[in-house]
Amino acid sequence: MIKVKNLYHSYSRDERYAVKDVSFEIEKGEIFGFLGPSGAGKSTTQGILSGLLRLQKGEVTVAGYNVKKISNKMFNQIGMSFEQSNVYNKLTARENLAFYRKLFDVETRDPDELLELVGLADKAKVKAGEFSKGMKHRLTFARSMINNPSIWFLDEPTTGLDPAIAATIKDIIWDQKKREVTTFLTTHNMFIADELCNRVAFIVDGEVRLIDSPRSLKLQYGSRFVDIEYIGGNGLVKESLSTVDDKDRARIKHIIDNNEIQTMHTKEATLEEIFIKVTGRGLI
Amino acid sequence: MLKKITAVFLRDLKVNTREMISIYILVVPVLFAIFINLLTPGINDTTVRLAMIDGDNPAQVEYLENFANVSLFKNAADVEERVGRRDNFIGILPEGDGYYIFKQGNEPEYLIDFTKLLKTLFETGASLGDSAAEIVEFGRETPPLKKMLVNISILFSSVLGGMMITLNVVEEKADNTISAMNVSPISRTGFILGKSLMGVTMPIYGSLAILLITGYGGVNVAQMLLLILSAAILSMMIGFIEGLNNDDMMTAAGSFKLVFMPLAGAIAAAEALSEKWQWVAWWVPYYWAYKGNDSVLSQSSTWGQILLYTGIILGMCGLVYLILAPRIRAGLEKG
Repeated sequence: MIKVKNLYHSYSRDERYAVKDVSFEIEKGEIFGFLGPSGAGKSTTQGILSGLLRLQKGEVTVAGYNVKKISNKMFNQIGMSFEQSNVYNKLTARENLAFYRKLFDVETRDPDELLELVGLADKAKVKAGEFSKGMKHRLTFARSMINNPSIWFLDEPTTGLDPAIAATIKDIIWDQKKREVTTFLTTHNMFIADELCNRVAFIVDGEVRLIDSPRSLKLQYGSRFVDIEYIGGNGLVKESLSTVDDKDRARIKHIIDNNEIQTMHTKEATLEEIFIKVTGRGLI
Repeated sequence: MLKKITAVFLRDLKVNTREMISIYILVVPVLFAIFINLLTPGINDTTVRLAMIDGDNPAQVEYLENFANVSLFKNAADVEERVGRRDNFIGILPEGDGYYIFKQGNEPEYLIDFTKLLKTLFETGASLGDSAAEIVEFGRETPPLKKMLVNISILFSSVLGGMMITLNVVEEKADNTISAMNVSPISRTGFILGKSLMGVTMPIYGSLAILLITGYGGVNVAQMLLLILSAAILSMMIGFIEGLNNDDMMTAAGSFKLVFMPLAGAIAAAEALSEKWQWVAWWVPYYWAYKGNDSVLSQSSTWGQILLYTGIILGMCGLVYLILAPRIRAGLEKG
């Protein structure tokens, strides 16, 4: 559904590239996570793919359309949820969606149904200007589904939302996946990416360092750890030990044989830890 | 395409009816028209106002009504009461076989003299037919000041359309919604056209409201709208630029006010400069719109003249478009 080959982009139109030689392909129905710290090139790449930024160099195909010569028809197949909510403050939630649906040439979803989906049904007649940041974000998210998109761009979809609403948003993303919607998820939240994505790409300084599935990455780069709390000579002791290192394995056995264990948990390497390991950079 | 353009326009209209500054702009043409109506009868009314007793000497009343505003009252006391009020009213009251002129004392002398003259003319039996004077006229059928005020108001309403565009573009910027438009199937041209419709409908609505309220409904409206809409193109382009260059409504409205400078200059030039100096305002499209409107309001316009003026205005707007269009498109692309 999305093909990117040797993509470059420079805001200053010189050799200082915000995105350098980026290539990847996304299959239909896949949730593809684009992960990286602020300024890594995530939004630039997404901007080019969604037609918000002009393609300068490289080849990009979205839903069969060449992004070099964007056809307005392409947008009938695309949904875009922005990180910064961008709805009309002087229109109500329902009016916002009702207006936006009129811009499409394809069958659209009922605004009330979408508001119900994101938990804003009781706010349908309230002007968006009176909404909290989280409510505006949900309205922006709902709008991105109005045209039943086959390709869905999500920019930090759960940022700023309380856990219950974030869980609802994740459920909606899962539901869209069941409908074979291809999702391009831009985030620096590794937990969301780990939970939702079929594959993730790590991008740093405009370059993609790695593309793989979270599971494969964990198997490849992650070390298993065990967190143990036990009663030692001077009271409660906490240790974190590797389950693959021989020395640590022997230590674990020794602790179990000689101490009273209070708690013991296996700990998998997180996607964030793998990111740092691979890129040498944190996510902030 | 048309459906999307209409959707953008109707959204703007809906928002404009919810914003105080926009509502104010929408009612301004009506306010202008009412103001002109209130002001101009006083300007043109230079005749004397007379107070007389109803039923007393109907022939005299009928004669005087040809030359003065005559008000009839029940009795002498009522006439005296009316004359005693603040404005200038002269009473003509019966006394014995004749009449006397009753005044407050502070009226201009010419009003008293005019009343005396009218009374004498009636008593001597003089009529308009007795005059041997030949009538020669300039052919002006409407009061010049009223015509000028109507003309200015109509041009003003065309500029207000541009101001509405500015406010609507600023709203899009403030709400960050241009990016949402850029990922929808509406083309940039469609979006610009949708936004521009306010700049077209506002002058049409404003011009018609002003013409109808001020009693100019009988002029050639098609000629008038052709001139106004061609001049409105300039206001619309400036409206977009000011909208894209400003982030809040008050600053944008303040910047847009600069458009009134060439407008005022063009009117001043057309009205105050002698014929040999008129060329100094030829470069302002509003000058040609003002001149064209003037002839339409005077009902002396010809299609040839109107098409010439429209052509000049469109030519100038075309040059401005070549300069501003890339900036407008780039501004909308950037969001």
